[in-house]
Amino acid sequence: MTATSAPATATVTAPRAGSAGGTRRRLDSLTIGLAIVGLFVSAALLAPVLTPYRAFELAGRPIEPPSVEFPLGTNGVGNDILTQVVLGARSSLLIALLAGLGTLVVGATVGLVSGWRGGALDVVLMRFTDIVLALPRLPLLILMGVYLGPTLVNTALVISLVFWPPSARIVRSQVLSIRGRAHLRASVGFGAGTWFSLKRHVVPEVGLILIASLIASAGRAVMLEAGLAFLGLGDPSRVSWGRILRDALDFQALFFTDAWSWWLVPPIVALSLFLLGLTLVGIGFEQRANPRLSRHSEETGR
Amino acid sequence: MARQPEAAGERAAGAPLGRSSGGRVGHLTGVAALHVVTIFVLVSLVFFLPRALPGDPLNALLDPEVGGTFTAEARAELEAHYQLDRPIGEQYVGYLGRMLTLDFGWSISRQSPVSTLVAARLPWTLLLMGLALSFAGAISWIVGTTSAWRRGSKSDRGLVAAFTLARSVPDFAIATVLLVVFAVLVPVLPVAGNRTVFAQYTSIWQELGDVIAHLILPVSALTIGLLGSKFLLVRNSVIGSLGQEYMMLARAKGLPTRIQKYRHAGRNALLPFLTLLGVQFGFAVGGSIFVEEVFTYPGMGTLILDAVDTRDYPLLEALFLVLAATVLVANFAVDLIYTWLDPGVSAGTPS
Repeated sequence: MTATSAPATATVTAPRAGSAGGTRRRLDSLTIGLAIVGLFVSAALLAPVLTPYRAFELAGRPIEPPSVEFPLGTNGVGNDILTQVVLGARSSLLIALLAGLGTLVVGATVGLVSGWRGGALDVVLMRFTDIVLALPRLPLLILMGVYLGPTLVNTALVISLVFWPPSARIVRSQVLSIRGRAHLRASVGFGAGTWFSLKRHVVPEVGLILIASLIASAGRAVMLEAGLAFLGLGDPSRVSWGRILRDALDFQALFFTDAWSWWLVPPIVALSLFLLGLTLVGIGFEQRANPRLSRHSEETGR
Repeated sequence: MARQPEAAGERAAGAPLGRSSGGRVGHLTGVAALHVVTIFVLVSLVFFLPRALPGDPLNALLDPEVGGTFTAEARAELEAHYQLDRPIGEQYVGYLGRMLTLDFGWSISRQSPVSTLVAARLPWTLLLMGLALSFAGAISWIVGTTSAWRRGSKSDRGLVAAFTLARSVPDFAIATVLLVVFAVLVPVLPVAGNRTVFAQYTSIWQELGDVIAHLILPVSALTIGLLGSKFLLVRNSVIGSLGQEYMMLARAKGLPTRIQKYRHAGRNALLPFLTLLGVQFGFAVGGSIFVEEVFTYPGMGTLILDAVDTRDYPLLEALFLVLAATVLVANFAVDLIYTWLDPGVSAGTPS
């Protein structure tokens, strides 16, 4: 009984304790997240300075261990692995940007229209959202990605078309809660038009939610792009962390030497660290948008 | 205020389909109708997408190493055999009819009945995902409740950090790490397939042991991948319930901590938690693609990849129907649980 007294008092004082305790952590997570993402952005931009090689250049002998010349060694055909990891950041950032924005545009449009107009249109759009939400997304992504041609832009397009429903739902519920508020009702009562109301009252209020949603979509897109590349279904003209992993696992003699230690580990670390950075940024924005909102608003299976 | 945890959890899990007003029966009818439309959309997509885009199953039959083409007559004969020469509308109608009667036809790339292929693979994937979801569910339930109970403490913050990190690692990366650890560093577990090739078992127990040994790594990878989202969901929902009046009452009555923790606080998290589990089970059949690929596990995931690669229309069509059916069954189960556990749903809660 005595053991419970500490949490018990905390409970009585505040239902908000969970999020209030996160005040300091929230700032931290945003800062740390931005620092991590910034690291990858600079790596992607500074790639030509950081490494003298090109992605698929036969820079050295196959599976050379790390050295001054090749800080992360070479892969099975003699490409410099550091170069590939650094350039892989470009693919990941690009897909994060393209697919993140694409998902947001589709999701936010559906959510705004649905929540603002209401009525029959809302019902139709939400039922449509339900249908898309019930599609097996990953297999569909693979199917569409392969048959449209595996370029990075196509992958971003397909991700946007398949993964928008969570954003739409979040935006819609936010718009619904704003729509009922007095200042907006007053504004509409005084004759404010749809466009004006959206621009002046709704979009500023859902702004942070939109950003949090964008970050979540971007993170998922990075994971999916890496996954597709890992399955060998990625853009053949680009390096990607998933593809480095794929190449390594396809290399027959990977585990006969220590090659796995400099070939497998860097892309896994880069991918996980970048995703962690995005997650932290997302958590930061989500908590700023709504301190009471839970920190995982979009996870829905695969 | 009190609704917050449910609302958050619902968003997290992707609320069940088709909330409509009307009684319980009306609600479920609406849900069923929506599922039928969903299946129809998916089945149509799977028919038209591969046919609209370049590549066809016959060319995929040719060995890419050797190259070569069919003679015009051979091609015409094959097209006639697989009925690929018919007008697209006629093919589509015939296809819908076959899907309705569950007649999946003959795989073009593998030359065997599609139903046999699917039946050989489906149980393995269901086994993988069933085990992974059960483990992930049980672990996240216990750890999440405990973490919420001690929220703000060092151990809670450590757990939140650990699970946030775990959620950032894609499951194929987790699987690759496990592969490295158990193929190179401590080679004690089998890292490929679902059983030892050419094994002669002396008893059923030996066979069972072999199958279990082959399950350990893929199931672990999937479990770790599934843990993060569930842990955070349980933790946040339970935290939401801790400030409620019934918790104070439970404490005032002097109920044992264990009962307060799991019966009172934990139960509040049950609804969104079960929803998330159900939704994830719905995506189970397609959800293990990466992990199956890493461990070359003969499940549905690797079969889907093969079918896409060889553009095997009949196989693809059957696979996606199974995918859709799993989602349907799981979502319907979630809806049943919802209407059963939460009377507010049948009264027409706005979604």
